[in-house]
Amino acid sequence: MTALLLTYSYDWSVIPRSVAFFERGLSVTVRIALFSVVFSLALGLVVALIRMAPGPLGVIGFVYIQVFRALSLYVYILFIYFGVAAATGLNLDPIPAGVVSLTLLNSAYMAEIYRAAIQAIDPGQREAARSLGLGGVQTFATVVFPQAWRIAIPSLVNQFTDIIKDSSVVALIGAPDLMYQTIERVSFYQRPFEFYTTVAGIYLVMVVIVAQLARRLERRLQRHLA
Amino acid sequence: MIVLAYQFDWSIVTDRWRLFAAGAWVDVWVAVIGFAFACALGLLNALLRTSGVRLFTIPSFLYVQVMRGVPLYVMLLWIYFGVANITGITFTSFQAIVITLALTGSGYTTEIFRAGLSAIDRGQMEAARSIGLSRTRTYGHVVLPQAFRIVVPPLGNTFVGLLKGATIMSVIAVPDMVFLANELNVTLFTPFEVFAAVALILVVLVLFFSAIVYLLERRLRIA
Repeated sequence: MTALLLTYSYDWSVIPRSVAFFERGLSVTVRIALFSVVFSLALGLVVALIRMAPGPLGVIGFVYIQVFRALSLYVYILFIYFGVAAATGLNLDPIPAGVVSLTLLNSAYMAEIYRAAIQAIDPGQREAARSLGLGGVQTFATVVFPQAWRIAIPSLVNQFTDIIKDSSVVALIGAPDLMYQTIERVSFYQRPFEFYTTVAGIYLVMVVIVAQLARRLERRLQRHLA
Repeated sequence: MIVLAYQFDWSIVTDRWRLFAAGAWVDVWVAVIGFAFACALGLLNALLRTSGVRLFTIPSFLYVQVMRGVPLYVMLLWIYFGVANITGITFTSFQAIVITLALTGSGYTTEIFRAGLSAIDRGQMEAARSIGLSRTRTYGHVVLPQAFRIVVPPLGNTFVGLLKGATIMSVIAVPDMVFLANELNVTLFTPFEVFAAVALILVVLVLFFSAIVYLLERRLRIA
């Protein structure tokens, strides 16, 4: 084993030769991740509101969150891309199928983040707004949500790192993302170590940048709250 | 509407429930083994991290960042194809997924153990030391038992995360339930039934383990 470790001749020159493929893949990955994060931010808020509604609506929200948090993206994407497509004739292309799966899954996580943030707002705020004569919707939109949003942002951004990482699974249904391009290059050059190490590094850099952003936002928002 | 054209045939799943159960068992089993290693690695790493010795804390910090920042799928192919290629070790696909889950999981368990260890009041350590317990015994009898209560619930959540992650193993042909569903889909072309079945099994498993974590959490809550 050690002998081979020493005798293996690395050839990192395949990496600069593949820059164009990395770029192409990266742009797809970034696009998928951005669309998914925007959609799941919106859907997550809707789900959170449904979850907090009284009666059967709240139960539906609860079940939605439990089910989608329990699924892995891979299983879900197979179900959407092959199962639902065959049963309904709704044939999504790989990229939209990836975005839909990532959105549905992450909206459940985001709903819980929103809910925790909304519940963290002192009930007195709501009561004060209502007693000033604001309607229910207005109270939520102008008093409760702006405060809850600040609490939720860091966790929501952290969720974005999970979306970036999870998005690598879309390669399995043929979406030409960063991972897909890498796998293609591996089979072309037969250099798995060099390529997978590089792509791991690229994902790592993206995740660290986003996480750093979350930390900075958190500090800034806390300064405002203090 | 095309919906009507698809003939649902659930007997494809129900007739093979034993196969699905066996496949699900593989997922759970792999997750359990991966989790056990992740806990061992995480505890070790957390001890290094809290040691206060720079030589240990910095690599330990970087390790956590890398393990948490690299997608599971990338890590799996890196181990199974990349590392195998340069070292000449041919991992079985089973070993590869266990190693991957152990490494990815250890990024999370390290942070959990670290939080658990640092939540124990320094006075506990000092008191134990001053009544004559050695450093090892202090950890074994005083610090770890208290930290244990704190770390169990988040560790449980990590296990659930690893169980979900484990389903990726079919891409390197470990015969789990997703692999089975793919095989059935290829031969019988019944994607809806087989993938719905797999999704359902996963949801049930995850909710089952989450419920256990919840109950443990309530029981261990420090009064």
